[in-house]
Amino acid sequence: MIEELYKKINGNYEIAISRMQNDERILKYLKFFLMDESYKGLEDGMNSGDCEAAFRGAHTLKGVCQNMAFTALSTVVEQITEELRAKDFEKAKQTFPQVEEEYKKVIDEINKII
Amino acid sequence: MEKRDTLLIVDDVMINRELLKDIFENGEYKILEAADGEEAIQILDEHKDEIALVFLDLVMPKKNGLEVMHHMSLNNMINTIPVIMITGEATVETDVKAYELGAADIIYKPFEPAVVTRRAKNIIELFEHRISIEKELELRTQELFESKKRIEQSNNFLINALSSVVEFRSLESGEHIQRVKKFTRIMLRHWRALYGEEQFTDEQIELIVNASALHDIGKIAIPDNILLKPGKLTDEEYTEMKKHTIYGCQMLEKFKQEENEFYRYCYDICRYHHERYDGRGYPDGLKGDEIPIWAQVVSIVDVYDALVSKRVYKPSFSIEETFRMIHNGECGTFSPKLLKCFDDAKEEFIQNTTKEQMGEEA
Repeated sequence: MIEELYKKINGNYEIAISRMQNDERILKYLKFFLMDESYKGLEDGMNSGDCEAAFRGAHTLKGVCQNMAFTALSTVVEQITEELRAKDFEKAKQTFPQVEEEYKKVIDEINKII
Repeated sequence: MEKRDTLLIVDDVMINRELLKDIFENGEYKILEAADGEEAIQILDEHKDEIALVFLDLVMPKKNGLEVMHHMSLNNMINTIPVIMITGEATVETDVKAYELGAADIIYKPFEPAVVTRRAKNIIELFEHRISIEKELELRTQELFESKKRIEQSNNFLINALSSVVEFRSLESGEHIQRVKKFTRIMLRHWRALYGEEQFTDEQIELIVNASALHDIGKIAIPDNILLKPGKLTDEEYTEMKKHTIYGCQMLEKFKQEENEFYRYCYDICRYHHERYDGRGYPDGLKGDEIPIWAQVVSIVDVYDALVSKRVYKPSFSIEETFRMIHNGECGTFSPKLLKCFDDAKEEFIQNTTKEQMGEEA
């Protein structure tokens, strides 16, 4: 079930299981992920044009995605983090839809299994 | 002290804290968590003796990781509580900054459990080891300090015993020596305050003070009929009496210690405490700065104490009169610098001159 989810969202199940030991625990973290507010920080920052706030959200989200081994989401978040770090808001605006798409995919899949 | 058994995890992202917590789930350590810098500081203040290690995120709301480190430095925690910085990306810049602030190590997200536990264990052991070595060192230093103090006490005892031999024989009380020591210390401190360029350390001052007790040690070699003569000495007798400066040095030379500072002070004070600035003293007729400062100090102190004290052959002079006589050169010439220092110390000379020594009823 969990392995399936990682496949659908292009994550790395092998890394996740080595890091979190078992599926039960991964599930616990998937639930935590639903509660994490860093995506909201990024989204609000993007909508209000607050580059600084968007960067903080992206930066935190990046760390979380890396820890969870969400490879696909992690890659686009990393990209937007660097764009926001460089204060290139226009570029970040072009990247954000991909982030949104990958993030929604992860959330939808988690919601399906809990 | 109790063994430190608590880990503090500081990160604003709950998932990150949970991941670290799970890594240490075996129960070896108690876990405390903080979601921002302010909370971290509060917990650190409260549990500073229990915390074995802090995992610290850099970017956090309220107070950030740098501010937490700063607080730890200010409150002396940085040497006893190791900090492992948690950072998202490995850039040389953040790494250098973290180490500069006193971080013991850095770990990068994502966390690899095996690496994190190994590093944490290593660092905790390293700090435990360091703290115990420092404790041991502190203990040894304390022991050394105490044994040094005991040696100093024995030294003082021997010096006092030795110097009192002369006084005992010349039927004087032992107080002259004690007062010479006291006044010498006062003079040297004022000298140090007035003339910064010729600094004496506290230790040097004490060495000179002890050496001053032996200034008349050579009198032990003066025959009774001269030393104890109640009346005025003949020229011949006076010539012999003056030799006490040389006899003292001859005694000391038998135990000569090359390069020993204390020996140098004892020798100089014994030999030169009757020399005068204008070259009209004895035994060598040294003048000006040829006479070492410590010998000059003891000479003025010796004269002062002799003048203000009542002796069988003379009454005591008042302190004012004594200062006037010394300034006037009635007991030989002293250097202007020394006289200035003497005036500077006048208040303390007055405080430390007793009515008993002046022969008045207390």
